[in-house]
This record gives sequence, C-alpha cells and structure tokens, in this order.
Amino acid sequence: MARTQAHWWFVGPALFLMVVILLMPIGIAGLLSFTEYSLGNPDAHWVGLDNYSKILTRSTYEKMFGATFRYVFVVVPLSVGLGLGAALLIHSTRRFSDLYKTIYFLPVMAALIAMAIVWEFALHPTIGIVNRTLEQGCGTFLETWGWYAEGCANGFPTWLTDRHYAIWTVAFIGVWQGFGFNMVLYLAGLTSVPRELYHAAEMDGARSAWDRFRLVTWPMLGPTTVFVVTISFIRSFQVFDTVEAFYPQGGGPSKSVYVMMFAIYEKAIQQNLMGIGAAITVVFLAFVMLLTVIQRWLVERRVHYA
Amino acid sequence: MTDMTLSSSAPSSTARADGYRFSVGETLKHAVLILGALVVLLPFYVMVSYSLKSPAEIMQNTGGFFGAQEAFRDEYCVKLGKDVADCMVTPVIYNYTTAFQKAPLLRYLLNGVIVTASIFFIQVLVALPCAYALAKLRFWGREAVFGLVLFCLLIPVHAIALPLYIMLAKLGLTNTYAALVIPWSISVFGIFLMRQFFMTVPDDLIDAARMDGMSEFSIIWNVMLPTAVPALLAFAIFSVVAHWNDYFWPRIVITGDRSLFTPPLGLREFKGDADGDNFGPMMATATIIVAPLIVAFLIAQRRFIEGITLSGMK
Repeated sequence: MARTQAHWWFVGPALFLMVVILLMPIGIAGLLSFTEYSLGNPDAHWVGLDNYSKILTRSTYEKMFGATFRYVFVVVPLSVGLGLGAALLIHSTRRFSDLYKTIYFLPVMAALIAMAIVWEFALHPTIGIVNRTLEQGCGTFLETWGWYAEGCANGFPTWLTDRHYAIWTVAFIGVWQGFGFNMVLYLAGLTSVPRELYHAAEMDGARSAWDRFRLVTWPMLGPTTVFVVTISFIRSFQVFDTVEAFYPQGGGPSKSVYVMMFAIYEKAIQQNLMGIGAAITVVFLAFVMLLTVIQRWLVERRVHYA
Repeated sequence: MTDMTLSSSAPSSTARADGYRFSVGETLKHAVLILGALVVLLPFYVMVSYSLKSPAEIMQNTGGFFGAQEAFRDEYCVKLGKDVADCMVTPVIYNYTTAFQKAPLLRYLLNGVIVTASIFFIQVLVALPCAYALAKLRFWGREAVFGLVLFCLLIPVHAIALPLYIMLAKLGLTNTYAALVIPWSISVFGIFLMRQFFMTVPDDLIDAARMDGMSEFSIIWNVMLPTAVPALLAFAIFSVVAHWNDYFWPRIVITGDRSLFTPPLGLREFKGDADGDNFGPMMATATIIVAPLIVAFLIAQRRFIEGITLSGMK
C-alpha cells in the first residue's frame, strides 16, 4: 500500500531520536557504571563491579535505599488511598463536588519547587504557621494526647531539620502533591462503572455499602488501581525537587532524606563521580522498569473484568 | 467511612437521602472534604498571603490574610543613602516590584515560555508524522518500530539524566537553550497517543485525499492534524505543565548562567540568598511563577484534567 518511501521520512526522525536520546544513554550508563569516569578525564578507568559493590556495602547507600523506600512506601499507599477516598466521597456527593475536585487538583498544577519553598516556610520551627497553629492548641483537651503535651512542654518538632521527622515530612508533602492526580483518575474510573451492576449486586444480596464497594466498585476499579499504583511508584521513586530545595547539600539530617535521584545528582553532577552515579542510575532504571513490566503483566492477566 | 461514602452512590439509598434536608452522612462527608481542602490550600494561602505582607507582619504573624498594608521603611533603600521619607513603601507593591528588580524575573518567565513552547513544537513535529505512519501506512518494520515505542514508554527521561548530561557536555551544549530542549524533543508518549487517535480516523478520508493528489506529507498536516486537534490540545497541556514546572533537568544542565534560568531555577536562586526581609518578595516570585498555570487551569478545568491524566488512557 505504501506508494512511496515517505514512511521513512516520517518515522526516521522519531526513530533516530529514540535511539540517541532514550536508548543510547541506557547503554552509556551501563558502560560507565563499570568505570571511574569523570568529565574532563580523557580515559575511563575500568573498575569492574566495584561501583555496584560500593552501592551494596557502604552505609551512605544503605541510607539512600532506606530513605527512598521509606518515602516510596509512605507516599504510594497514602496517595493512592487518599485519592480513592477523595474520589469516592466526591463521587457520592452532589453539592460542591466540582469545587472539591478543583481544590484537590491544585497541587498537581503548581510547580513543586515553589510549593516546597512555601512548605519549608510554613513548617519553620518558630515562625511557621504549622507550629504556631499547634501552639494555639496548648492548654486545651488536645494535651491529653501525649505527643501533643510533649510538644507544648518542650517545643513542637522542627519537622524538616529533625532527623526523626524529616523523611516523613518530605513524604507528607509528596502525598499532598500527588493524591489529587490519583483522585482524578479514580473519578474517571468511577463514572465508567455501569449502574446496573449495583442493581444486580443488590438483588444478589449485597445489602451494605461495604458489600457494594467490595463486590462491585473495587473490582471494577481494578485496572485504574493497577495504573494509579504504578504511576505513583514511578513518580515517587523520582522525588527530587523537594529534597533539593530543603537540603541542597548532603540529603537532610543524618542523610535521612538522601533519596536516589538526589544521590545521582550529588555524585555525578556536584562531585563529578560519573561511575558511581551511573551505577545508581542503572539500579534506579531496573526498579522503574521492573515496576512497569509488573504493571503490564497485571493488566494483561487479571484485571479485565469489563 | 466507606459505609457513608457509598450510601448515596447506590440507587436505593439515593432516594432515601433525597427525602432528608439534613443527613448526618452527608454532613460528615462534607466535613471530611472541607478538612482535606483546608490542608491542600494551606500552602497556597501562606504563599499569597505572605506575598502581600510586610516583613514585620510575616515575622509576627499579624495582619490577617491581606496585611494592614501600612507603609514600612525599606532598609535597603535607606542604606543606599536616600531620604527616609522616600523609602516608605507599601508591602504589596514592595514585594512584587522587588520580585522583578532583585532578579531578572521577566527574563526567567520568557525563558520558561521559550523552552516550553519549543519543546511542544518539536515534539509535535517529530511525533505526528511518526504516529501517522504507524497508524495508517503499511511498511516493513512497522511492528518493530511500534514495539520500540512501547519499550521506550518504560524509560523515564529524568532517570537517564546522567548519561544525557555527559552527552550534552561532550557536545559542549550545557548552558544553552538546546540543552533544555533536546532531551524532550522525542515524546514516545506523544507518538503513542497520536497513533491511538489516528487509528480511529477512517481510511476513506485518507484515500480520498490521495485521490485528490495530495502528498503523504500534506495529508499529515492538512488532513490528519485538523482531526487531531482535541488530542493535540490535551497533549499540549500535558507537555506544557510538565516542562514549565520541571526543576530537575534545568538544575542539571544550567549552571550559573542566569540569563538561561527557567522560572523554577530563578525561584530556587532567590531562595538561596533570601534573608529575613526578602520572604515577601520571594513569596511574590513563587506566586508569579505558579499563577499562569493555576489561572489557566481554573479557566479550562475540564481540558486540563483531561490533559494531565492523559497518561491514564493507556
């Protein structure tokens, strides 16, 4: 059917760019991860698996994986859960549903770096609005809560600069930023659940709302959930803006917020240690690709109900 | 929570709920949603409010949302040796003018527009013909190319920033507009999306165009492009939002040269040298950078939500 060779003119540029911009870098990262390359050096010294064994043994990288997984395993369940919760609530209420939707979606639109700076300000230990608001609650019934009484007596946490709170605070901002996105995807999923299914479930004896959710809504949202979970994983693995804004050097108190993207940035760009940066890149890519492959497998395997 | 959540989404209880003016479930629902909305809005409130207030009001947390707007003394202006009476400034005017004076914010905004527009333009230029060929032309290797597109969808560009940075550095392209644009010139997602869309365009339309003697090239731009406007618009929103807000990539390839800073970099730089007096102007800068997309979003919500969640269509 192709009358001309036009198609190669059409596909060619995209093909070329795909190879050069997306595939070649993976190969380069793979190669460099076995070297001690740094920019400006004429040749790269081959070190075999040294970089990888460093990643697996040194405490810095142990902290890196710790911080990354802590972040990811807080942000993913919470942003998916809150996204679903918000979607169910909004879907079931008729008044103001568009207003809530708009508000919850705002953080998705706003530049995260700007909002990170604002959050840092809001969480400032003394002049921040968060601790000031908490102080207002002192002397009320809230003091019956041990943590709160402790805060009133000895000062509330310094959040971003406290090594026990830092990673959770950064994760909270991640949830704040991301759950509106998941909510919108769930809302789209909810509108596509056929109403007849609820009738059918009721006839089959699904009396309570929980039964309807368990038997109809949740299974029908299966494909949405698989997608939402995957994209939340990938997005939260890539966290960088907030970490760099709060901790331009070193990855937070006791390196407790030293996430992978920041580690790549610090090692490779700031310190010109390309070898180790490349090795972290390879590990990172492996994680992300594995997740997406699992997602596709799930999509093909078991979530097709409709 | 789930119990009340779903009570009105089920048909039978909707009827019941309609009968009541006031329902505990409904009230609880709104209470939860309003609480959530307050937390979500908190930083926006802080940002806009502080961009309106004087340094003293920020430090002492007084003045409500708008601040008293009483003129205060600009210490920097006094230091320059000007008369004190000339140095009295209204907070809101001080904050927003300082935002533009202290750093070349207009330049940053312009850079942001140049970069996001070029990225989108090049992405369409590359992706559209490829998507057309993949959807409507039969040629040897088509399945392989499409397979490659599907594979490339797995690769987050941020994750391969390091090798891309090395490649650009070797070409001497760091600290240029090219460095900001090139890595994003190929959008496999754009190709995928457009291909899916073109699949739905009837072959007859294309055959008719061919009968009329149109070249394949003009079919793309004169026949396919107009049909693809809704999808293209959604993709534009997706692309512009991602790159206007992107901080990671500019941070890596732009080092030092302020004239190439995108808005997020400019704001970050501002934060780096902010002291007590500058929180107001810093918040003003943040507001200015965040405002264009937020305003556009509020005007065309449906389109934006469609565009941003496009990736959900896979």
